[in-house]
Amino acid sequence: MLFFSFYKTLVGKEITVELKNDLSITGLLQSVDQFLNIKLKDIKVNEEEKYPYMISVQNCFIRGSVVRYVHLPAGDVDVETLQDHSRLEAREQKKVQQQAQQQAQQAQQK
Amino acid sequence: MSFGSSSLGDEVDKKLIVVLRDGKKFIGTMRTFDQFANIVLQDTIERVYVGDCYSDKSLGVFFIRGDNVVILGEIDPDKEVQEKRLQKVSWDEIQKLYELEKQKKEEEEQLKRKIMTDSGLTIDSILNIDEF
Amino acid sequence: MDKKEEGTVEEPLDLIRLSLDERIFVKMRQDRELKGKLHAYDQHLNMILSDVEETMKVVQIDSDTGEEFIGTEKRNIKMLFVRGDGVILISPPLRTS
Repeated sequence: MLFFSFYKTLVGKEITVELKNDLSITGLLQSVDQFLNIKLKDIKVNEEEKYPYMISVQNCFIRGSVVRYVHLPAGDVDVETLQDHSRLEAREQKKVQQQAQQQAQQAQQK
Repeated sequence: MSFGSSSLGDEVDKKLIVVLRDGKKFIGTMRTFDQFANIVLQDTIERVYVGDCYSDKSLGVFFIRGDNVVILGEIDPDKEVQEKRLQKVSWDEIQKLYELEKQKKEEEEQLKRKIMTDSGLTIDSILNIDEF
Repeated sequence: MDKKEEGTVEEPLDLIRLSLDERIFVKMRQDRELKGKLHAYDQHLNMILSDVEETMKVVQIDSDTGEEFIGTEKRNIKMLFVRGDGVILISPPLRTS
């Protein structure tokens, strides 16, 4: 959920999404969901001549699973908060894991 | 479970280009979708591009499984005009051009693979679509 | 705060947590390597790195001899989100304590 929340703070900002097939798209982040699918507005494709099928596209939906990198606007990223949230989420994750283990053990004993 | 790709709501009944992981492109009107980005396209055509040429083939109604989707692009009527600089050729013609291009790419890929393995490196092929 | 939880590596992801705010090395699929400062990660190994240097292995052709050889291509990215499914390994910084 960390990255989902993070991307929501970037809505309206310009990002560049680099896909695993090397296609690179720059546009304004319109929306994001929990799979990190991304919707971009007013897009520009790098090396446009190599991708003629993108000529007539202005807005697009990118499936999260095909993303390799996203280039972020450094000025809009608060690294301190991110680090704190990463630690918090790691702790939460561990708690959930321990609870699940305990439940599994209890179920076995019964 | 909340509704994943809820953002696709705006695209219903719009003309979209769908790019799949194997590189195929389909153009049609999206009628419905779900949280996996599975979609149903109506009046679908397949469009093949090679260089500055393209060709279309009508295929009807399509269900496309979300896993295979790379991009859904909304076709902008104003920008669609720009595509007119491309040359439309027959389906048979584009198939021939496509085969030629594919062969060329495969040869390049093989050469690259050989050089990499000769130097003791393994290479993740870009043609291996499972990687993607 | 529980000291044990914060300072030791009990499971693999703890190593990543202890590398927050440090420069790490990441090996990616398709012969790509990254070096950058880690600012965020999750259980899928999605990450945010800053001041990233990416190195890519590419086949290049010598313009004089026409011979192919393996070269590296580098680029620098200020702030980068990396999707976890492309990650092969992560190495924390070497510590000289």
